[in-house]
Amino acid sequence: MEKVLITGISGGQGRLLARRLLDSFEVCGVDRVAWEGRPKNVAVHQVDLRKRKFEDVFRTEQPTAVVHMGMVRHFRVSEQVRHDVNVRGTKQLLDHCVHYGIQKLVMISSSYVYGAAADNPFYMDEDSPLGATRSYPEMRDLVEVDTLTSAFIWKYPHIRTAVLRPVNVLGYYVHSMIGEYLRQRRVPTVMGFDPMMQFIHEEDVSEAIALTLQHGLQGVFNVVGPGAVPVSVAIREAGSTAWPMPEPLMRPLIDRLFRWGMVPYPAGAMDYIKYPVTLSGKRFVDATGFRPLFGLEEIFHSVRR
Amino acid sequence: MATRGFRRALGDLLGGLLPLSVRDLRRELDDRIRKIPTRLNEFGYDPWGLCPATVRETVLPALALYKYYFRVETHDIERVPPGRALLIANHAGQLPFDAAMIALAMLLEAEPPRLVRGMAEYWVSELPGVSVYAARAGAASGTPDTCREMLEAGECVLVFPEGVRGMNKLYKERYELQRFGTGFMRLALEAQTPIVPVAVIGSEEQNPGFANFERLGRLLGMPAFPITATFPLLGPLGILPMPVKYHVYFGEPLHFQGSPTDDDAIIDEKVETVKTAIEKLFERGLRERHGVFSG
Repeated sequence: MEKVLITGISGGQGRLLARRLLDSFEVCGVDRVAWEGRPKNVAVHQVDLRKRKFEDVFRTEQPTAVVHMGMVRHFRVSEQVRHDVNVRGTKQLLDHCVHYGIQKLVMISSSYVYGAAADNPFYMDEDSPLGATRSYPEMRDLVEVDTLTSAFIWKYPHIRTAVLRPVNVLGYYVHSMIGEYLRQRRVPTVMGFDPMMQFIHEEDVSEAIALTLQHGLQGVFNVVGPGAVPVSVAIREAGSTAWPMPEPLMRPLIDRLFRWGMVPYPAGAMDYIKYPVTLSGKRFVDATGFRPLFGLEEIFHSVRR
Repeated sequence: MATRGFRRALGDLLGGLLPLSVRDLRRELDDRIRKIPTRLNEFGYDPWGLCPATVRETVLPALALYKYYFRVETHDIERVPPGRALLIANHAGQLPFDAAMIALAMLLEAEPPRLVRGMAEYWVSELPGVSVYAARAGAASGTPDTCREMLEAGECVLVFPEGVRGMNKLYKERYELQRFGTGFMRLALEAQTPIVPVAVIGSEEQNPGFANFERLGRLLGMPAFPITATFPLLGPLGILPMPVKYHVYFGEPLHFQGSPTDDDAIIDEKVETVKTAIEKLFERGLRERHGVFSG
């Protein structure tokens, strides 16, 4: 039986994935926090990806596959720490994968790496440039992690490496920035802008990762859910109220508030509610036959306040 | 919930006060919109953000222009084939009323009615408000990838290869096609799409331009700065068109063969065929009309 090591296993998505994989894989994981009430046969090691103890996990657990989702995607820590954990942590992990004979690696990136821009084509494929840092420099570590792992695919072709870029993930368990955003009582939006946004349910993301492991996929794949709606519809369906603000007012305001720690995202994130980032999931569907189980209504229902 | 109900009741009440002709227009519109073949999701949006419900709510003023101001007459609209098609038309008149009128013609007179997709300039999606409405009405940022996808999905896409060059052409250049871009032809070849030449008669006289100070326009953040009989004399309102009579002529669909990556010279030859077809329609339209305003 294959043994999968999941980084970030105690997060919402990590827990869902662990339970999803238990039928067909042995599962172990690492995280900085413990997982209370985990299944008995799942070992969770509380380590830091950058530390020596992380390497020990590879030695003792001897996994054959790794799912890497243990990244800091919020801004509650300093930029340096975030960069360190994400980029250096991933680099360490890639080295361990080479040294300890890992056969399959799945890295969970996101659609955000493409960046939101007025001249984005609709339904971009995986070869589109990663433009996030053009107007959202705080994303540079996540873009770098994606690039680092994509390069790893070509350097070590004997390791089946897949980079997954799912669209906006929503669900009951997962902690995502977009989920936090939609769940606010009054949701700030940019007045006069209402881009199309794609969503996918957390369970479908787990399913996609499981399929990636089963098929031993190699390459970069967008993972797309059931469809797209304007962000205003998503806000309405999540049971919240949109609060349109004129951009010249909103940008400096969010900028200040973010620096004072009163808003969880920097002003650059505004572009994602202003311009569309829509992806084509064709490559992944062709490779695995993936079909999202959860429709848009169920997705929004799962985050309804 | 209560406010929504109240708003609806108020809407119905006001609807009762509308003149009969407006109510008829609305009924006709509903009837047409119902017949449009689109692929909408459970919230009423298509993959590119088009929303027929929004179109229904907001198109009435444009419809009034279509019927009573420009009194649009279409000719041979049945030539537009079902499924994917590229409508290639002349562009003129300082403001893109020609686009709206062609789109309305396809909605009101084509069988089955179609919502024409437009390829908008990039800066349209940077304008607050306009960006949303353009998307709901079927326009999208004009990247070749998006256009190809729409064609492959069987949409009918309207393109003005003259672009801004045409919109701000001078009065003395009326019914003279400006330089055509070649992008549309490469797309047509790539997506194997029939091209329908379209000639709009009337738009070229709706707001005659005598000069165009492009530099000044660019300085002001506009694509052009035309001098017309009424602009800038009457302020922003001066850019509005006169009540010319519109005729929209549709030509036989043209099918082209070849590689989309051919040299410009080879592509240009094919583009020239399309231009000739539109010029033929010009000739016919100008011959058949009696006056600029009476038509």
